[in-house]
Amino acid sequence: MPATVKKEFEFEFRSKEHKSRLTIPITIPLSQTSIKEFVGRLITAHDLPCYVEKDLQTKLHAFVTKESNSLFDEHAEEVIARVRKDPKVVDDLVQKWSQAYTQEVKTYAKPEEASQEQQFSEVYHSLIHSPALDTLLNLEHTYSLTVEDLILQRDKDLEHLEERQQKEMEQALKEVGKTYTDDQISQLAQRHLESVQLIENKWNSELNNLKDIQKHEFRDWIIKVHEDTQIPAKSPSYIGRVRAMSNTLPEAEEEERSSATTRLEESFTVHLGAQMKTTHNLRLLCTDVLDLCRHKTHTVGGLVIPQPQRLQTAMSLYSNNLCGLILMVDNRLNSYTGIKRDFAKVCEQSTDFHFPSLDQQFSNVDKEMAKSNALRAQKTTTEDGDKISIKSSSSSSSGDNQLDKGNRIQVGDFYITKHSNLSEVHSVFHLVIDDSIRSIDISSRHPVILSIRNIIKLCFRSDITTLTIPLLLSHEMSEEMTIQWCQRRAELMFKCVKGFMMEMVTYGGQNSRTIQFLVPCGLSEEMFANISNLLTTIFRLSNPVVVRSSQASNAGR
Amino acid sequence: MTMLGKAEYGVTTFFTRSHPNDKCGANGLPLTPNSVKVLGRFQGLKHLKHPQICKYLDIVKDKHERMVIVCEHYRNCLSSKSSTFSSREKLTEIAYGVLKGLAYLNSIGITHRNLSKDNILFDAEGQVKLAEYGLYYMTGYGAEVAFPIGMPQYLAPEVLAEAPITVDEHSDVEPEVLNPSGPKVDVWSLGMILLEMMCAQDLWTGLTMPQIFHKIFAFLKTDQSPLQSIAKDNSLTETLKTLTPDVVEFLNKCLTVSVKHRPSPSELLKDDIFTELRLKEVPYRNGFQLFSTESRCKDLELPVYGENGTIMQDFDFDHLSLRNMEEVYYLWRLAGGDLEALLRKEGLVITKPPITLLPSFCTNEGDVFGQRRDRAELLDSIVITASQEQLRNRLSEVDEKAYYPLLEDEQSSMTSSLPLSPSSSDLTNTASLPLVIKEKDVEYQFHRIILYERLLKAYPYKRAHIWKEARVDIPPLVRAPVWAALLEVEGDIEGLYNSIDKDTITPTDRQIEVDIPRCHQYHELLSSPTAHVKFKRVLKAWVVSHPEYVYWQGLDSLCAPFLALNFTNEALAYACLTAFIPKYLHKIFLKDNSQVIQEYLAVFSHLIAFHDPELGNHLDGIGFIPDLYAIPWFLTMYAHVFPLHKIVHLWDTLLLGNSSFPLCIGVAILQQFRDRLLSFGFNECILLFSDMPEIDIQRCVQDSIKIFCSTPKSATYRQHARPPKKAQKEESRPNLSYYSRDYNDQPSTDLSMEPIPIEELKREKVPRISAEDLIELGELTGPAHSKSPTKRKQNSKPMLLVVDVRTDSDWLKQHHVTTCKSSYKPEWFAGVQKSW
Repeated sequence: MPATVKKEFEFEFRSKEHKSRLTIPITIPLSQTSIKEFVGRLITAHDLPCYVEKDLQTKLHAFVTKESNSLFDEHAEEVIARVRKDPKVVDDLVQKWSQAYTQEVKTYAKPEEASQEQQFSEVYHSLIHSPALDTLLNLEHTYSLTVEDLILQRDKDLEHLEERQQKEMEQALKEVGKTYTDDQISQLAQRHLESVQLIENKWNSELNNLKDIQKHEFRDWIIKVHEDTQIPAKSPSYIGRVRAMSNTLPEAEEEERSSATTRLEESFTVHLGAQMKTTHNLRLLCTDVLDLCRHKTHTVGGLVIPQPQRLQTAMSLYSNNLCGLILMVDNRLNSYTGIKRDFAKVCEQSTDFHFPSLDQQFSNVDKEMAKSNALRAQKTTTEDGDKISIKSSSSSSSGDNQLDKGNRIQVGDFYITKHSNLSEVHSVFHLVIDDSIRSIDISSRHPVILSIRNIIKLCFRSDITTLTIPLLLSHEMSEEMTIQWCQRRAELMFKCVKGFMMEMVTYGGQNSRTIQFLVPCGLSEEMFANISNLLTTIFRLSNPVVVRSSQASNAGR
Repeated sequence: MTMLGKAEYGVTTFFTRSHPNDKCGANGLPLTPNSVKVLGRFQGLKHLKHPQICKYLDIVKDKHERMVIVCEHYRNCLSSKSSTFSSREKLTEIAYGVLKGLAYLNSIGITHRNLSKDNILFDAEGQVKLAEYGLYYMTGYGAEVAFPIGMPQYLAPEVLAEAPITVDEHSDVEPEVLNPSGPKVDVWSLGMILLEMMCAQDLWTGLTMPQIFHKIFAFLKTDQSPLQSIAKDNSLTETLKTLTPDVVEFLNKCLTVSVKHRPSPSELLKDDIFTELRLKEVPYRNGFQLFSTESRCKDLELPVYGENGTIMQDFDFDHLSLRNMEEVYYLWRLAGGDLEALLRKEGLVITKPPITLLPSFCTNEGDVFGQRRDRAELLDSIVITASQEQLRNRLSEVDEKAYYPLLEDEQSSMTSSLPLSPSSSDLTNTASLPLVIKEKDVEYQFHRIILYERLLKAYPYKRAHIWKEARVDIPPLVRAPVWAALLEVEGDIEGLYNSIDKDTITPTDRQIEVDIPRCHQYHELLSSPTAHVKFKRVLKAWVVSHPEYVYWQGLDSLCAPFLALNFTNEALAYACLTAFIPKYLHKIFLKDNSQVIQEYLAVFSHLIAFHDPELGNHLDGIGFIPDLYAIPWFLTMYAHVFPLHKIVHLWDTLLLGNSSFPLCIGVAILQQFRDRLLSFGFNECILLFSDMPEIDIQRCVQDSIKIFCSTPKSATYRQHARPPKKAQKEESRPNLSYYSRDYNDQPSTDLSMEPIPIEELKREKVPRISAEDLIELGELTGPAHSKSPTKRKQNSKPMLLVVDVRTDSDWLKQHHVTTCKSSYKPEWFAGVQKSW
């Protein structure tokens, strides 16, 4: 049923003996204001005498009201007739309406049970903003040292095993053909592998066990302390609990006392927007990406103290000021190689008391990915040639050939993991890249760049106020990254990020954000300075504060 | 004007549906967020006035697409005291009230669709007040929110017969409601509500929601009247029999399944059941409106005097409740009325920590997976009553007289326009504080808006007084009418605007359509689709009715401040724009405006050189001429350069100045960047102005006033300026100072400026001044003659130093006593230098 109809409006009036008749097609519905305007237009167009104006207006108004009402009626009757004709749709409609109410309106929705997770997060957030903060951090820290210890043992054990096996193998290889046959060699190798796996599994289960226990203990402790604080009378026991935990800090070992490496960094405050300006902070940072994740030991007076960053991360964990980090990964969802393995190792260092382990999060991602693959398959079959959006057309080149291989990730996809045990990061965006970004001239419509836009958008919507972006889209320097290459990549990224941020202001309001641009360690200081200069030309820095001389103020008088 | 009376402020909140994936519209630009669409549509609701509806006051867009709506509210509603309404008379009265409200809403094209016992309210006098009637309309008939609108058990069958709006998270299609519900759905709901009230019990209480829906659908299948089947279901058949036949008849009319046979609210009003009420009814008057053609004293009733000729004394009078509801709301916000805090206090903004809501996977096309829904986003139709206590405490010390300032007492009003209340003896001190502080000061704003409200009622008679007050400041609440008053808008603006054809397609349409989505789009209101439509109409109206001019890019920016201020009054926005352009931009919108602009820019560079020779020389030296940066400044009167909240402050002053004031603003802007400009080369200068840095607008305004006052009038002489108007307006606007009038408005004499060719003008580095100004500023006529241009301090130095640069022989022949002889070469000292 069409939303509008054309109806003929007739109007008659007399001037002296003449009787004139006007017939005009009018589109229904016509809004109130347009009736007056319509009259104005009719009068000028047909040169009508001014004394008919009022009459014309009332008649037109009555006409429009009548016709729009009958339009409403017709439509309503039509809908009802449809239901009458086919009573089967009733069940479907009832189901849809009930669903709409139960899913979207609070009074009809099922009351939500306060999950343990939620309760824990609330309690933790309130405790971390209370005097118990110190103890809490120390406790977390102590737990992490225990885990570290175990990991150290595991690594030593594995190392030892490997050494032994290597010797055995060398020995065996020397004797090939004499004492050992080829078959026996391969059997030996097989045996070695099995024993490595056995030992690894043993350690890992021990590690997981420890982490589970820690997590359990920690949560219990948190809830107990919270309960204690709720009852004022019991405050001594709470203090006792807190105190008992405070004195467990270990002595630092000699090698840990060396100071942490310093980062090269520079900060800027910029204004974005043509007329309306929003203020944001940018930071150019030269360090290893995992430096932002890894807790470094920090010693004061011979004691191992948690890093100050850790405090900040813990305090903001359940707040509206989150920190995110983009990690460039390949298209396999695991943690076996390269940066993924290093990252997993950092995560393993301590127990995550709030979120599932990395492996569990990955399996969640895998489930969601299956859904997306199903949707993609559905889309490609239904997609008409004329309805290709800009985004899909640009990404299709790199993505299409992988479609049939099940749960594969395409370039530009990203998955998100949450962490409470990393140094300066709450959530990590694992952005899938391929070799195409090593090329010197990637365009601003490259899927990876577009994904950075999606990430920034997500950040604006999910209160991630600090985001770290690898400026060169790479975590380490490689040989194709010449001075020119770096310069061009930096320029492209700055411009794109600037554009994306300006675009996103409509989503996130006027809040100021911090973007950290990360460049790899191997970058020369000269290049760093170049990039810093580039940043100041592309972004508009906020007005410098100028100390006005007395002369200038005199001139203004 | 709607008086506050005993009304309170009700706050409601809901979430609009966010676009799951960012899609582009047909024009390639990103889709407008639903919250912005709702925001734009809401504005029209703010101006609805009827005794049977609650007035909408404000809408605020909060974080993450949350909308907060403030509305007139009463604590009494139909569901709260159901037992007392069982009498037939009372219920017919309620039905009549509801129908009157509905009929009014229908007459402006709004369907309630949300009628329930909770939103039929009663004011202190027991009059029906409908609330939440705008939800269906403002959300694009429900398309822009995820929740269904209306109480399930009151929904009409034809509403249910159409599937609810559902959106697939990953689909590309935006839902749109083509056939919205008509007025008659509300009649059904009213019937159901009345039935419940008559029987004093809720219907279908034991049934689940799907069962209720099945019941409603069952009406479609049988010929039995819905009333009978409902009665049977709820064992009310006996109760029905006790009702009088006309009531049953009325209920049957409301609960008619066939939409064609069900009457509309306006038809029902004529029902026999209401005959008595109709006779008793007092016609509703819409009160005073500025800039209307209706006679303002039409409905005027003089206050009733007591027997002895004295007004009834009432000492306990609540003066605040007699004020306009919007005024009080404005003050309430200033007095610390924080909507978000209010919601938080009532537990309506409990959201999950954002980290727990993060999705787990996102494709390169932006589809998000694994994101959890925050329960806080569900609709909670609770209304929170905002307390006015804080505001009343702040104003408790205010003297009663302050509510009724006298305007005609010339002596006091001319010396200090601000009445002194005991609590705020320092109010006059507030007047000298920075604008930002003044705009946040409750008491100060209270006095200002009351004063302005009175003055505006007396417009145009009180134009001179408004002009004077505007020199102090303009409160944001009344800015729109005050600007119109300053621009001398008068007459039947609405009739004029209506008579202009804004629909017929013209060649400039394309350009207008391209420009609008790029004009002040950071502003939530102006970025809404409603605003785009209005924008286009106002611009088209101007272009169509000014055939001598053309549409130049920049007209859109010029229109933006007026539209933002008069969002619901296009006619006034148009009238202001039409008054503004000839005043400040005479001839600029000619098809060939090069002569006009060239002259304007030449005068501007003269002015730079005059006020800041060093800067002028530097800019001239590096070739950074005004043509490169200043055209958008003047073409849009800075509306393109600054954000709206700064433009309004700038224009507050600009509107008081004459057509050469904009030039002074330009100089003031340059002065703020003086240090940087002096150290910059050409490229850096271009870069600096390509993206205008943040500017201190208050300082800019102050500086430009100073610059304006220290510029000889004839220095800004332009031959293309607007020719003098007829002298009839002389009395209406006071000649407050020497400066407020245009040079061009002065009668010209032999000693006045004469036009010089543009080429010559451009060649010259500094301005010429007229012989008149020379005589006047140099005090060459002697003290007796001079009509002192400014209040000059006694024993002050003359404002002018004349340097004679002629050859020695000429000098010896004849010279004026006050001039000095220069031995420098003429080109070094060519012109007038400021002497201080």
